[in-house]
Amino acid sequence: MDELPEFKRSSLEVLRGPLEDRIVSISRVQSSLTYPCNFMLVASMNPCPCGYFGDKEKECKCTEQQIMNYRSKISGPLLDRIDLHIEVSNIKFESLKNTDEESSEEIKKRVNFARNIQKERYKEYGIFSNSELTTKLIEKFCVLKPSSQDILEKYFRKNNLSARSYSKILKVARTIADLDGSENIEDSHVLEALRYRSLDKR
Amino acid sequence: MLSVIKSIALQGLNGILVNIEVDISSGLPSWDIIGLPDVSVKESKERVRTAIKNLGINLLSRKYVINLSPANVKKIGSVFDLAMAIGILQASSEINEDLKLDDTIFIGELSLDGEVEGVNGVLPMCIEALKFGIKRVIVPKKNLVEASCVEGLKVIGVSSLKETMDYLNGKIEITQEKFDSKKIFGVNEKYNIDFSEVKGQKATKRALEIAVARKS
Repeated sequence: MDELPEFKRSSLEVLRGPLEDRIVSISRVQSSLTYPCNFMLVASMNPCPCGYFGDKEKECKCTEQQIMNYRSKISGPLLDRIDLHIEVSNIKFESLKNTDEESSEEIKKRVNFARNIQKERYKEYGIFSNSELTTKLIEKFCVLKPSSQDILEKYFRKNNLSARSYSKILKVARTIADLDGSENIEDSHVLEALRYRSLDKR
Repeated sequence: MLSVIKSIALQGLNGILVNIEVDISSGLPSWDIIGLPDVSVKESKERVRTAIKNLGINLLSRKYVINLSPANVKKIGSVFDLAMAIGILQASSEINEDLKLDDTIFIGELSLDGEVEGVNGVLPMCIEALKFGIKRVIVPKKNLVEASCVEGLKVIGVSSLKETMDYLNGKIEITQEKFDSKKIFGVNEKYNIDFSEVKGQKATKRALEIAVARKS
């Protein structure tokens, strides 16, 4: 969904149920129908109405009120359900000339490698990937070292995270470890996972 | 003469096995479809009657009653055309009356000249049919590929009512086509756009990689 805040708030909030349960129920006079809807939500938005908030070169012209209004269209609970947040800045002119960028083929290899690890690990549990882990399985498979636990605790207290983001961070850290081919979750994996919660702080 | 043919209705993605009971009896000539049919099902009457007539079979002027059971579920769409036609043909002895069709379902719309047209939703219908213990499905040729994806079903693709009749009467053989997943899903493996076209933005690409690596 491009330009996420331009959607009606009511339509955005409806996404919350399907995102969690992966089913969508439609109730009509005659009957209530349930459809499966296992999907990945990818959304983008500008940092502010003019689009330059936080830009290194250009100045943002929006008032604080405008920025607040713009961002408040995405509710906390909805944001909480989005696993990875990233801020995308403008690229430098030099990198436009890069020719050594990775091809999809190489990325696909790494992704398939990580997914095969997950498939193998969860074959007895009837699930295929980290995103499907339940709380119980998270406790079993996303065990943190004491040092990582410390990092997470500090971050958690500082940013007042929800329990939902906590388990999301663990699952993302597990995936990063899988991409690395690492059996245990290391500090660096947790730190990278925390980087993808940038909107929690705002 | 009474005959019972099975077909399947979809409510959302849940299947409901529909028994299509056809009875032909003496009385004032009439055609009735009962069992909560909507307008598109009611129109089946004309399609089925004309398709049979154009096969060169003259139906007798009798009282025809077609009941779609369970009668409390609303039936939508043209998927029952083929099953109704087969039911009528069996009830009027054009198809062997002793033929056991308990584990067979019929899916398909008829055109006036007796061709079997494709319908929507054949894949979920076939998946649901398995749950009801159905062994064989007869589907329009146009939907053959999607139906063949379902393992454990004998899938027969037909292109006309005549062909279906001959198949049921044992005059012709139709073999099941082997499902080749490579042929169907392999088509989309080549993309014109590639990640190497995205310059810079390492962090973004990394996040996308993580996203796809964790999702089923």
